[in-house]
Amino acid sequence: MIKKITFIWALLLLAWQAQAQIPTPAKPQSAPIVLQGGIIHVGNGQIINNASIRFEKGIITEVGTSVNTSGARVINVQGKHVYPGLILPDNNLGLHEIGAVRSTLDVREQGLFNPEVRSVVAYNTDSEVIATLRSNGIMLVQVVANGRFIAGTSSIMELDGWNWEDAVHTMDEGIQMQWIPRMYSGRGRTVPNRRFKQQRREAENMFRQASAYAKIDKPAKINLKFEAMRGLFDGSKTLYLYANFAKDIVEGVTFAKKHGVKRIVLADGTEALKVADFLKEHNIPVILQRLHRLPMYTGTGVDHPYRLPYLLKKAGLTVGLSYDSSEPMGARNLPFQAGTAAAYGLNKEEALQLVTLNNAKILGIDKKVGSLEKGKQATIVVSKGDLLDMLGNKVEHAFIQGKQLDLLDKHKYLYKLFKSKYDAKKK
Amino acid sequence: MKQKYLFLMLMLLCTTIAQAQVTYPVNGVADNREGYYAFTNATIYTDYQTKVEGATLVIRNGKVTAVGKGVKVPKGATEIDLKGKYIYPSMIDLYTGYAMPKPKRSRGFSFASFAASIDQFISKKKGAYNWNQTVLPEVNAEQLFTIDQKQAKKWRKMGFGTVLTHKQDGVMRGTGALVTLANGRDNELILKGQASTHYSFSKGSSTQPYPNSMMGTVALIRQTMLDADWYAKGGSKKEKNLSLDAFNATKKLPAIFEARNWQDALIIDKVAKEFGKEFIIRGSGDEYHRIAEIKATGASFILPLRFPKAFKVEDPLDAEMVSLAQMKHWELAATNLAHLEKAGVNFALTAAGNPAFWKNLKKAIKMGLSEKTALKALTHTPAQLMKMDNQLGSLKKGMYANFIITSGNLFKGKNSIYENWVQGKRYVLKTMPTLDLRGVYALTLGTKSGYELHVSGKPGSPKFAIKQPGDSTNTKVKGKMSGSLVTLSFNLDKKKKGALKTRLSGWAAEKKFAGTGEDAEGKTIAWAATYKGKLPPPPQKKDKQGKGKQGKGKKGNKKKKPAAKSEMGEVIYPFVAFGNKEKPKAEDMLIKNATVWTNEKDGILENTDVLIKNGKIAKIGKNLSAGGAKVVDGKGKHLTPGIVDEHSHIALRSVNEGSQSNSAEVRMEDVVDSEDINIYRQLSGGVTAAQLLHGSANPVGGQSALIKLKWGEAPEKLLIPNADGYIKFALGENVKRSRYGFLARGRYPQTRMGVEQVFVDAFTRAKEYKAAKAKGGASFRKDLELEAMLEVMEKKRFVSCHSYVQSEINMLMKVAERFNFRINTFTHILEGYKVADKMAKHGAGGSTFSDWWAYKYEVKDAIPYNAALMHQAGVVVAINSDDAEMARRLNQEAAKAVKYGGVPQEEALKMVTLNAAKLLHLDKRIGSIKAGKDADLVLWTANPLSIYAKADKTIIEGAVYYDAKQDEQKRAEVKKERTRLIKKMMSKGGKGGGKRPIMRRQRLLHCDDLGGERILWHLSGDQDKVHTEQATEHNHKR
Repeated sequence: MIKKITFIWALLLLAWQAQAQIPTPAKPQSAPIVLQGGIIHVGNGQIINNASIRFEKGIITEVGTSVNTSGARVINVQGKHVYPGLILPDNNLGLHEIGAVRSTLDVREQGLFNPEVRSVVAYNTDSEVIATLRSNGIMLVQVVANGRFIAGTSSIMELDGWNWEDAVHTMDEGIQMQWIPRMYSGRGRTVPNRRFKQQRREAENMFRQASAYAKIDKPAKINLKFEAMRGLFDGSKTLYLYANFAKDIVEGVTFAKKHGVKRIVLADGTEALKVADFLKEHNIPVILQRLHRLPMYTGTGVDHPYRLPYLLKKAGLTVGLSYDSSEPMGARNLPFQAGTAAAYGLNKEEALQLVTLNNAKILGIDKKVGSLEKGKQATIVVSKGDLLDMLGNKVEHAFIQGKQLDLLDKHKYLYKLFKSKYDAKKK
Repeated sequence: MKQKYLFLMLMLLCTTIAQAQVTYPVNGVADNREGYYAFTNATIYTDYQTKVEGATLVIRNGKVTAVGKGVKVPKGATEIDLKGKYIYPSMIDLYTGYAMPKPKRSRGFSFASFAASIDQFISKKKGAYNWNQTVLPEVNAEQLFTIDQKQAKKWRKMGFGTVLTHKQDGVMRGTGALVTLANGRDNELILKGQASTHYSFSKGSSTQPYPNSMMGTVALIRQTMLDADWYAKGGSKKEKNLSLDAFNATKKLPAIFEARNWQDALIIDKVAKEFGKEFIIRGSGDEYHRIAEIKATGASFILPLRFPKAFKVEDPLDAEMVSLAQMKHWELAATNLAHLEKAGVNFALTAAGNPAFWKNLKKAIKMGLSEKTALKALTHTPAQLMKMDNQLGSLKKGMYANFIITSGNLFKGKNSIYENWVQGKRYVLKTMPTLDLRGVYALTLGTKSGYELHVSGKPGSPKFAIKQPGDSTNTKVKGKMSGSLVTLSFNLDKKKKGALKTRLSGWAAEKKFAGTGEDAEGKTIAWAATYKGKLPPPPQKKDKQGKGKQGKGKKGNKKKKPAAKSEMGEVIYPFVAFGNKEKPKAEDMLIKNATVWTNEKDGILENTDVLIKNGKIAKIGKNLSAGGAKVVDGKGKHLTPGIVDEHSHIALRSVNEGSQSNSAEVRMEDVVDSEDINIYRQLSGGVTAAQLLHGSANPVGGQSALIKLKWGEAPEKLLIPNADGYIKFALGENVKRSRYGFLARGRYPQTRMGVEQVFVDAFTRAKEYKAAKAKGGASFRKDLELEAMLEVMEKKRFVSCHSYVQSEINMLMKVAERFNFRINTFTHILEGYKVADKMAKHGAGGSTFSDWWAYKYEVKDAIPYNAALMHQAGVVVAINSDDAEMARRLNQEAAKAVKYGGVPQEEALKMVTLNAAKLLHLDKRIGSIKAGKDADLVLWTANPLSIYAKADKTIIEGAVYYDAKQDEQKRAEVKKERTRLIKKMMSKGGKGGGKRPIMRRQRLLHCDDLGGERILWHLSGDQDKVHTEQATEHNHKR
């Protein structure tokens, strides 16, 4: 009997392997679904015990303790935790497969100012990394290019789909800019940026001309770079600023404001705390890069990075969390970054908010996703336990706009394959 | 014309003072002069501890013939009266490159030269020399020496008479020559042609990659010494080796080893003791960081006096980049010599290339160094170290006439060195004033008298003023003296500005002036001045100035000075932020009512007490009585064994030798860095022990260091005593150098096929070596690389092998089995799950990452279920970090084994404690909570596997090395100390001095962190630069 089951398993696995170890993209939601009796973490700081959620055609229609189940497929989630799908900003997912193999990387375009470069077209839905992120609760990723100084234009992708057109959630929503630093940190010391003045002049020219260009509807000669930057000046695109040092933050934000950039996000808030008042005054939200890193200075308290979300929130800023952009394979630890924030000052719901509603707000998609509220997209994760803790994180169901995901991934596949080998040996 | 003549005269003098007989021809008539002088009425330091006042020194033919009080001026000697002046033996510097050719060093980094040298396996030096290009014992300074008059002059100006010089290039640098700083024929200047041998840790101009690490350098030194021994005993019959010939011929000379910091000094001492050798250590100036260990070396030191400048700290954001260690060193560097003197360390001083030498020496004296020791360190000690103290370093009959004449005490105030005599030759640095004219003189100008001429200032550069009768203030005089000639000009009628001045020209003699001049009408007058008496005391300036701000000024002056002294910071251990003022000590403790994860049969015990006595776990149970032990409340907390990291690269000064396929000879124990902040950071994550591994750049790496994270102890004390030896092996992409693009294609192996053969070859050679060793005899050459391989084969040293894919894992097990030993641990082992059954059968453990993958091709199949699957197959599984950041969350990484694969929590915790201890053969001592084991424990605030758990206390052998509450205090202290130092820096330099803030970030070492451009630095041997990580860069590629 057992042998038979093993055999069937193996057959199934083989069949699945034929699909290049990528789970089949889900079909659109056909019937209403109700997740019944779970612990609902709304994503806005609220928690509703023993509650249900109903969604139809990809949209949440009801959330609460008494939810209409008529005509719906009911999934019992008693005692389980229901979360908004986690949102990961600032990542090379889909552009970056294997770090050391250049041919698998589409991350950095040649040139210093490349706003015209669009991450969405290189996003590889067949990347083996994607499904491993879903397995830990991440449903949406802002896919970005890297580079000095304007890296490109980013899009927000849903982690399911046959191709990038399927998968795109918000197209070309922002531009990534590494602010021209006064100093570079590299090889153990900080060295002054010798081309600082020249580079600043170039940036100055770029933005001055781009903003002037943006005032003409139909220019005689099309400039692709300026076209790409148009949205910065009317608020349809966000400028994501990366600045390592406190002084760079101030200079970068001042620069962008001066040139009439409407939406600015500080995408690397490592030193944001030092200029928190400035950021608050200008209403600049902050994304913190992976919390699991060492303090920048030997004299800094060892848990300083862990405490930053709490400290920045206390300073009145909107804070989101990301992971190192060039580590898509590590980004499945995003929920545990939030868990760490909960261990160091925030309460658990506030910590969850960092990777759900706050990230959605920062990315400008909070009207559609980021919390489990009526009218929002049904991008939902159900975990057996506390999603933010390794001991609890076990995603059992996941939905993107109501589509129920196949939660298999390459790792689970290989696990089952070899487990069956050793299980068989035991018998 | 005149100058030319003078110059010729000087030249003549120089060439003719010399000894009667020389080997070279003399042009013209023999003008032999003996240089026969008697210096009288001087205060003479005949040696560093003997001061004779009113003494006479007689020299002849470049040597001292008599010295002392009451010595009569011999007939025929030229007498020089030195009343009021001092004579000291001249200074000796033992660490110079004086008059040596500059070593050729490539300027900056050249890609072409780098590419060419990357696969250079033997020396490019032509001839029958050593295989390694940085082993240069054949270099002989006396053959390279030729006087450098410009440099000599600079040295003499500082008061030096003799220097030891060597060519500062390479690890083994050959011999140094002791030479004087006189001008003359080279033949006369060399006092001792082969006076010393020289060593350093710097590869210098060598283009050969090996060694490219600190531990490789140490290994090379060891092996070369063994080779020299073998060569002397019979190896010379097998090969001719001019380098070893030279080494053996000079090995009894005093050996000087350059240390870049105190840590180097301790390693030098370690090697010295291994080989029964004695090194004089050229120190670095930070010896006070570990004074006890420095003292324990018993070595003599040659020390520089270089003090860091104050940082620019006025901008608080920039100032943050200056580390506490840098600030503290700025404050305390000048106390180094006082610390060493107090500890009784024997030292000499070096001024080479240091224009601030005297200024800094005076500062060091202010900080507590005694003048006597300072003089000793500049005269007697260097002479003694060169075994020349019967000829140099003091002024006694028969010794070299090398001395200086000074205006006063050498170490005080603004004294001047007037003359520097080297080998009896006179070099005038500053004209000695022959007349002290200071005083009040009665002045007559033509027919007018009643004036007073006041002569003040310094002898040699007097200042003049005139007091007219009936005038309370002085009349300004512009005056100049040249030799005994004087020129004065002044305006006697103060009201008439712009009138013709009275101008005088004259000559001075003892207590009088006379001469001629022209008065305000242009009439020629005669003038004279005769001594009347001493100058009146100068008016007190302070009173005048202070009146307005008296309160403030006085307060400031009075309070500042004593306060500055008491405000000196303390030395902390280690000398970085969060260092301890006192090292943690073991104490008896009773931890009460904790949830105890025993890792033993008892499992997890609720509400249980653990008693710690004498650094060991004494008892586990309920309601234990404390006795005298300190009680720690463990209620609501979890107690686990300390975390053991099987794979770590923290606390290391260097990580990869990697230049050769096999570097089994290198020892990580030689490069343990006790000052790494990551020790403390990891204590905060409950880590108590770690294996510090060599990197993975080559198939056979180096020998591991097993340490406990005893923050504050010196490197040797971090090592776990009597632990089994380990060695790093590595397979796959790193060792076949597949990530170097077009570079580095010359080294074998380039494929996994070649990797196997490297191992087969190494063990085959080791087998043969074993036979040769058993046979012994003169032809047997001890080879440290093969010794290590043999230890592996004989199960005396154990392998931890970096490995990823199943084929290579399988291969290595087969190689081991063929040579009849077992692979102890496969580390990383990300495809271990594919061959876990084979591993279990072989007996290999697996030490893996929890969830890392896809950072390179060979880890594309890595899965987070690896630990669970290997565990299921019966492999002893550990989870390691290989990363300073992750190491402080190893408990969380263990929890991922629960998430991925459902390993029971207790078993998951074992993966970072007991199992790691097992893999390190330390499980009898650590890894579980059991009576008799080391009290290495962590008290957690919650279930240690949860993301919410924090270490509250981390205990090693009964001593609390991390305490969350103390940590808060320490943070406040760091802040306070920084504030104090910033204040001091600001007050010192006004703007804070000259240096820019330069951030020194932490070096974080990974075993194969060779991403992108870092490879270049890595291969070029610049280890410190390579592995430096930045928060902004992505640093988790393994």
